[in-house]
Amino acid sequence: MTPRQNGRRLVPAYLATGGRARPSRNTLDRLTLLHGVDMPPTSELRPEERRILELLRPGALSLAEVAAHLRLPVSVVKVLVADLVDAGRLHARVPIPEAEQFDRQILERVLDGLRSLKS
Amino acid sequence: MTSIPEALLWCLSAGTAAAVVLAACLFRAQRQGKALAGRLAAAEEQNAATVRGNTELNARLRATEAEIRHLAGARIPDLTTALAHPHVPVRGLLDGRFADSETDHALTAVLDQISEAVTKERLRVDAAAQATLRGATTTIQALLYRLQTALQEMQHRYDDPSVAQDLLHADFLNEQALRRIQATGVVCGAWPGLTREDSYLAELVVGATSRLRGYERVQVSNQLRDPVAVVARAVEPVAITVTELLANALHHSHRELPVTVTLQQGNRGASVIIDDYGVGMHADEIEHAMALMSGEREVMLTQLGDPPRAGFAAAGQLVRQYGFGVHVESSPYGGVRAVIYIPGDPLLTVLDESRQPMSVMAPVPHRPAAAAGGSVPATGSGTSPAPVAAPQSAAPQSAAQHAPAPTAEPYAPAPGTPSGHPDPGAAPGAEGDLPRRRRRRPAAEPEPNLPRSEPVADRTPEETASRWAALQQGTESGRAAAARPEPPRSPEGNPHA
Repeated sequence: MTPRQNGRRLVPAYLATGGRARPSRNTLDRLTLLHGVDMPPTSELRPEERRILELLRPGALSLAEVAAHLRLPVSVVKVLVADLVDAGRLHARVPIPEAEQFDRQILERVLDGLRSLKS
Repeated sequence: MTSIPEALLWCLSAGTAAAVVLAACLFRAQRQGKALAGRLAAAEEQNAATVRGNTELNARLRATEAEIRHLAGARIPDLTTALAHPHVPVRGLLDGRFADSETDHALTAVLDQISEAVTKERLRVDAAAQATLRGATTTIQALLYRLQTALQEMQHRYDDPSVAQDLLHADFLNEQALRRIQATGVVCGAWPGLTREDSYLAELVVGATSRLRGYERVQVSNQLRDPVAVVARAVEPVAITVTELLANALHHSHRELPVTVTLQQGNRGASVIIDDYGVGMHADEIEHAMALMSGEREVMLTQLGDPPRAGFAAAGQLVRQYGFGVHVESSPYGGVRAVIYIPGDPLLTVLDESRQPMSVMAPVPHRPAAAAGGSVPATGSGTSPAPVAAPQSAAPQSAAQHAPAPTAEPYAPAPGTPSGHPDPGAAPGAEGDLPRRRRRRPAAEPEPNLPRSEPVADRTPEETASRWAALQQGTESGRAAAARPEPPRSPEGNPHA
């Protein structure tokens, strides 16, 4: 994407959380959906937290996507997100359960129903 | 037979002759005696003088011997000590009468010779030690970088909190080891060991803090107007210098006290100002530090103490090699203020944040209220999906700024230039000015990106049924109207006609 992905990192990941990798809540997952809360940014927000909120302003993103945008490990982003959720600046929603395999019979019945609509 | 008178005459004449001869002899003897007496007196005088001279010489010899003993016993040891510790005085002559004499010159020549020999030998030994250390640090540093890469990959691979925690901790330890090795290597004349890309100054400073224990006490405030970056070759040297000065600040202040770092942009360069609120440094400590960091003299390992304090010396080496400036002084707050001044002309450039996003941990610049406009500054928002779609800035982007510019060209503000293109009419301003780039206004989120929040209109089942029926009928009639020779399409296919 950008040339700097090849370069050696200048700022290590532990700086974002002060070395913490244990989130204050263990309900977060890679697929947890995050929504921003409409709250004006305050000065006590750290730069990385500010960036997360900026990222989420257009809409919800999964935690893994946020981590990819920030180029930080998921474990570190979990800590940041957990802090923001604790501060009431983010809503975290459990991941949408994996969609079940469609039942062929139901699909056929839907098709039949659609065909019958024509008449 | 001879007569008695005749005999008497003979006797008398013989006697007279003898008397005459004797008289002559006496005269001569007297003269000789006088001469001898004179010579004797002269000889005695000479003798006395010789004895006097001898005594004098003897005394002189003894004094010279004492002087030589003094040289061997006191002056040479003094000299060798003074060569290692310049504040130790070297004693002078024992006897003042020798001053400026032949002996004095000879002894001084001896001292000079010794001084030269010792200095040469020390330099040789130091150079050998430096070479050994340089070789070792270079290898270790390369290994630590590989370890860093491995740890970073593992951090991205493992989510488990306890594993991640250990990985972060190991990463931090590795950074600290790297810092030590790197500084030692630089003191020994090695290059910083890493060439980076052009990097934002804010990012660089934050990166430098991460190499130190106690980094959480460092508060970075970014007062830069532009996204100022350091050119590739100077990134690591400046980072090392900032790290060492920060280490000094953290070391000299209490664990509870903050260390504030301010990034300030000037007309011709940028400064990193490090303030601590600690115990401060003595005047002679500051003087020593400044002498080391002025980069004016060669550093010797033996001057760095035991254990060697390599920080300032490393900074001094880098200052000399890369041409930025370091200044240390007592701060008005009682602690120490260190300023690193990076001249804009060879060492700074300006990067485009949409092409090269800043690290998320880099501090956001403080914007004046006018620029904020009710929204957050778009610092490094290149990673967010918004600005790619909405580059509605009125300022030119310096897209061609990635290569380290040998001379930083200032970019003239040209509001009419279409965005997304480098400004070709960049007129160089005053010589040595910092390159300028207008900051892009925070990108507004494009509206069409938000269909997910639209409410779905309620429909009755009948309505739905009629719509689907209409779709079905339309599809059928469309297919009927289409050319017959075409192969029959699947029900899902889109009718083209």
